Amino acid sequence: MRTWQAIGTLAAIALLTGCATTRGPLSASGRPIPPAALVAAETLADERQVPAPVRPYFVAMHAEGRENQTLHALRGGLVALRLGEFALAAELLDVAARDVESLQEGAAQARRAQSKFVREQEKWFKGETYERSALYVYRGLLYLREHDFGNAAACFKRAQLHDITGEDAPGFAGDWYSAELLLALASYRQGVPEDAVRALERTKSFTVKPGEVTPPQPGDNLLVFVETGVAPVKYRAGQYGEQLRFREMPTPIRTVELWEAGQRRAAGPAAESLFAQATTRGTRQVDFILAGKAQFKQGTEAGALALGMGAVIASQHRGREANIATGVLAGLAVISAIASSATTPEADIRAWENLPNALYVLTASVPPGEREWEVRGLDARGGVVQSVKLKLPIETGSPLRVLFVKL
Amino acid sequence: MKISIIAGLGASVLWLAGCASAPQPRVKYVDAGAQGKFGGTGIESQDIGAAAQKAAQSIINLPEIARATTPPIVLITPVVNRSAAPVDTDLYTTKLRGILMSSGGGKVRFLARDAGAAVSTAEQQMRDAGQVRAGGAKRDAHTYDYILTAEVRGISAAAREGRSEYFLVAFKLINVDDLLLWEDQYEVKKEGRDAVIYR
Repeated sequence: MRTWQAIGTLAAIALLTGCATTRGPLSASGRPIPPAALVAAETLADERQVPAPVRPYFVAMHAEGRENQTLHALRGGLVALRLGEFALAAELLDVAARDVESLQEGAAQARRAQSKFVREQEKWFKGETYERSALYVYRGLLYLREHDFGNAAACFKRAQLHDITGEDAPGFAGDWYSAELLLALASYRQGVPEDAVRALERTKSFTVKPGEVTPPQPGDNLLVFVETGVAPVKYRAGQYGEQLRFREMPTPIRTVELWEAGQRRAAGPAAESLFAQATTRGTRQVDFILAGKAQFKQGTEAGALALGMGAVIASQHRGREANIATGVLAGLAVISAIASSATTPEADIRAWENLPNALYVLTASVPPGEREWEVRGLDARGGVVQSVKLKLPIETGSPLRVLFVKL
Repeated sequence: MKISIIAGLGASVLWLAGCASAPQPRVKYVDAGAQGKFGGTGIESQDIGAAAQKAAQSIINLPEIARATTPPIVLITPVVNRSAAPVDTDLYTTKLRGILMSSGGGKVRFLARDAGAAVSTAEQQMRDAGQVRAGGAKRDAHTYDYILTAEVRGISAAAREGRSEYFLVAFKLINVDDLLLWEDQYEVKKEGRDAVIYR
């Protein structure tokens, strides 16, 4: 019986210490970050003189391995954009875009992440479809700002391309209202009005748009892009956390207005609700994999219990056969328990968490000159919830001025 | 006893498999014209090179270029992107000019206003204002004989399984009188599937 005791002890140790984490910081995937990688990333951030608000994301992007590169590039890129560090924002969003575009069928990391014993959050992060589409909306805005209207238009088209859905949500693919409005603006500025007209025509069939936004006009030379609230929160549901769910973080703002010299220049409801985009995705194929893992975990858990009970019953009998049976059943119960414990059906809830709740697209035609603007966020009753004042000159001959505002 | 050994081994294997760490990616040099290992379906460096190579060869064989007594001057305009894939238009222009320059055998010359025009104009203004000494060389900028344009168009489709994209790169050579002398096209179609964990 000493052997059995030894096996039991070893199994218990393996079970308890199984994936014990080492001390030190963990990545967004829950894996230890090698200290050398952290030091190298910090050094690079120093050399690049990365602004303090972007620095944590920049360091994490370089230290946490390929599986979290895009996650931190997206977060850092958005912080850089809001800071006005547009070149850095473009660089980081381009890093993310390369991974998002990379098709991974047959890749070792993708095969590994399908394993029952590897957590989904260890796969290379590419984001959910709403995050991939949002990436291209923001990248397109940066191209608009640089007056590269061709690439801006390409990004807004690509945002729609990444908005794929499951078979149970057929009407929600490629339905980003904000992307079509911005595509229309980029197309007018590029001198391709027919593309603008087609983009606006497509929006008529969209069902998830929060409201009707005044579309861009051919002569508009000002774009005010307003973000409100915070991103939908990802959380796990199901017996083993195998289901991905979203929680909306509500914001009281329902309308945004643009004022200048006592005049309301533009106003409108949100062009996009990111919660609506996140929750109209339909069933993902990875959901079936996670459900399979959960079933396996449940089955091995039940198997361990049944085998354990069998071992207990067998141990009540005397004789050599009974001893062997007890040992076999106990051993199998331990294996089953270990298999169950090692199975990881938890859904990946890493998220581009600094995205907003809603996007507003306001455009106007404004004569050149020094101007002071006020962007107001209004609640459902029309009361001003929040407002921002800023100066923004409109240069003579400039085809477009882009103003980013976070409320 | 054998059973106990097997049980112990099984447990160890499962334990180790669960905690195995992925190998760290390494950096290596690859052929600039090679297809990316985990590429997407958008325009990539090898597409730029192939399109530029095809256009360069075709332009050099044009009678207007091949038989010209003085090498004509070509202005390459920025690539116009009307596809659904962002394109590094500066890279495209630089690559096209580089290939034409290297394979042209001196049959064409290029206007490089993007490279030095702003500096030269500013210098000339300073000379005119007497702020700097007039150098030996007086500014006598060239103009073009031909404009070379490139436009990227595309058709893109996506489904849960992957993407399919078709790109057409159309080149045009136009003379100073707006006459279209030459047009050539390069097309590429790409399809790819994503791993099931991303669908």
